[in-house]
Amino acid sequence: MLALQLTITGLQTGALYALTAVGFSLIFGSTRIFHFAHGATFIIAAYLFYFVNVSGYGMILGAIAATAGAIIFGLLLNRFVYVPIQRDEGSFFTIFVASFGIGIVVQNVIGMVFGRGFVTVQTPLSFSVEIMEGLYVSPLAWISMLCAAISFSLLWYFLKYSQMGKALRALSDNPELVRVFGMNPRFISACAFTIGSILVVPAAIISGATSGLNPAMGHHVMLISLAATIVGGIGSVAGTLMAGLALGLAESLALLYVDSQWTEAVTFAILFLFIIVRPSGLLGRSAAH
Amino acid sequence: MKKMKNLFAIFSVISCLGILIPGYASAEDHTIGALFPLSGPNATYGDIFMSGSDLAVDHINADKMLSGPMSIAYEDSQGLPQPAVVGMTKLVNVTGVPYVLSAFTGVSKAISTLGTRNKVVAVNGGGVGPDLAALGEYFWNVIPLVNLEVRAVMPYLVKEKGIKRVVLIYIDDPFGNAILEELEATLKDTGGELVETMSVPTTAQQFSGIAAKVRAAKPDAVYIASYGAQQIQIVKQLRDNGVDQQLVSYSGYLVPDALALPETEGIIATGQSVNYNSEDPVTKRFVTDYTAKYDRAPTAYNVNYYNATLLYAILAQALEAEGKEVTGANLLAKRQEMGSFDLVGGTVSFESNGTLLSPIQVKIVKNGKAEVVDTIDFGK
Repeated sequence: MLALQLTITGLQTGALYALTAVGFSLIFGSTRIFHFAHGATFIIAAYLFYFVNVSGYGMILGAIAATAGAIIFGLLLNRFVYVPIQRDEGSFFTIFVASFGIGIVVQNVIGMVFGRGFVTVQTPLSFSVEIMEGLYVSPLAWISMLCAAISFSLLWYFLKYSQMGKALRALSDNPELVRVFGMNPRFISACAFTIGSILVVPAAIISGATSGLNPAMGHHVMLISLAATIVGGIGSVAGTLMAGLALGLAESLALLYVDSQWTEAVTFAILFLFIIVRPSGLLGRSAAH
Repeated sequence: MKKMKNLFAIFSVISCLGILIPGYASAEDHTIGALFPLSGPNATYGDIFMSGSDLAVDHINADKMLSGPMSIAYEDSQGLPQPAVVGMTKLVNVTGVPYVLSAFTGVSKAISTLGTRNKVVAVNGGGVGPDLAALGEYFWNVIPLVNLEVRAVMPYLVKEKGIKRVVLIYIDDPFGNAILEELEATLKDTGGELVETMSVPTTAQQFSGIAAKVRAAKPDAVYIASYGAQQIQIVKQLRDNGVDQQLVSYSGYLVPDALALPETEGIIATGQSVNYNSEDPVTKRFVTDYTAKYDRAPTAYNVNYYNATLLYAILAQALEAEGKEVTGANLLAKRQEMGSFDLVGGTVSFESNGTLLSPIQVKIVKNGKAEVVDTIDFGK
């Protein structure tokens, strides 16, 4: 029963990891921008939801505010930080440092506005119910998995069949060719940031209710996203999704075999294993020439 | 225009020199250091600690206790040893302070060698690891350590609540390991049993899997030994995931963020006993002014850092009266010479290991407030 309990717990955690990581992977895969401030997007969305909710405007308005905040932050960052750096032929590393700095600024601003302590979104949906003897599952666990399933189905359909989806995939392959076809890479990049930022919102809202929030949690979110992106294969949305779920499951099921202090290390052990054995990740393409 | 530019350049150079040269402040100024968590998941403690030390500075300066104005140079330790050592190095070598306020067990242990080597007094008012009593004569504690808290709560749980089987969830650092050792020893003496121990990394945020293992262990109580946001996350996720046994923790849990959480209801936690109703003028002034300044009742942490700061002023005042320089070595000698001090809560004196002893209260959280159910005085 413990194994089944940990599997369900792992799937819930994995769904949240996947939602966060796929957003990062989509942005990085399409634009080659190392968007470290993706963790900051998570924090902004989570705190906006929390603020609107505790102000008495309800969860729907909270979700709308969180989505709007995430999109606006992603677009502004792209337009006023990443694009100018790229225009001046700033290196990959320059963008990473700028993004890292933005993450720290957001963490401190959130701390100043909402306080640096722990806050949580109170909802009865986070309370587990015993569905079988010894097996406890909260409604939010099902909601997490459902959110992930719906989000990824829509994303898959969008990337496969829509014009913009094809353009996003093309941008990651060959930006020059995109220009030749008369498309605007900057507009396509903005679309990548919009979709990537939206994907983080369900994970941010659900985390606010299950594990609570503090302004410093963005770095941890980003660390998991990065691990999932590398394990899944850089640029591969499907690979990142699978990796996110696998990391969540591994972290939870590890409790069956190792002491609890090593469960987080399992994530990074898997990451190192992939770097050594299969550097291109689960579904990534080999970059060797 | 060129003149303006030159003036601006000179002004800039002077400003920079002012920042860089130690002792830029006038000789009579008294600056002490503080290594508090001002960012990261433990930042909530920084605000709590600062409110106590800042109020003490207000009082010291208003009373003109010292020959010049007193101030505190705050450095962000993040509650972690490595940034704390960087901050301590700056305080000792650049700012040149003789006295540093410290917090957190790991941080305090990490900086204590720097303090001893440079003869800088470090005073802890927030860390509770028992090892902190053995960090040398330049390290003082104005807070009773957690071994006393565990020794106070376990007999209460076993005798009053009939609790025998205990699960411990502890943070994987010196503080958590100290609690593990103390709990193992105390439970053996009181007839209880430690049925499962689970350590968690300092960065962990997901505890639903831990909750499943706790349920499987079927304990009577779960002792949580963590701090900052993590300890609140543990309590919330245990309750959300069907752990309805008695939860127990230590003084670090009774912070406003935790008390505001509905899942905290019913938790039993220990803490040092402070008589806020004492009629002595120091306590009365502290309680009145703290409540007025921060619009909330003070807690033990506020008291500890107020006392630690006030202690510096009392010692420095005595040294100045004798015409002696205010150095770490002289502060230590003066503390040993004076013996007892009038601080918040009454007249106190240090143990030979530099730690203040005070009674421990066992409290239960009801309606978001900690109510005292037992008081144990180890000094008697």
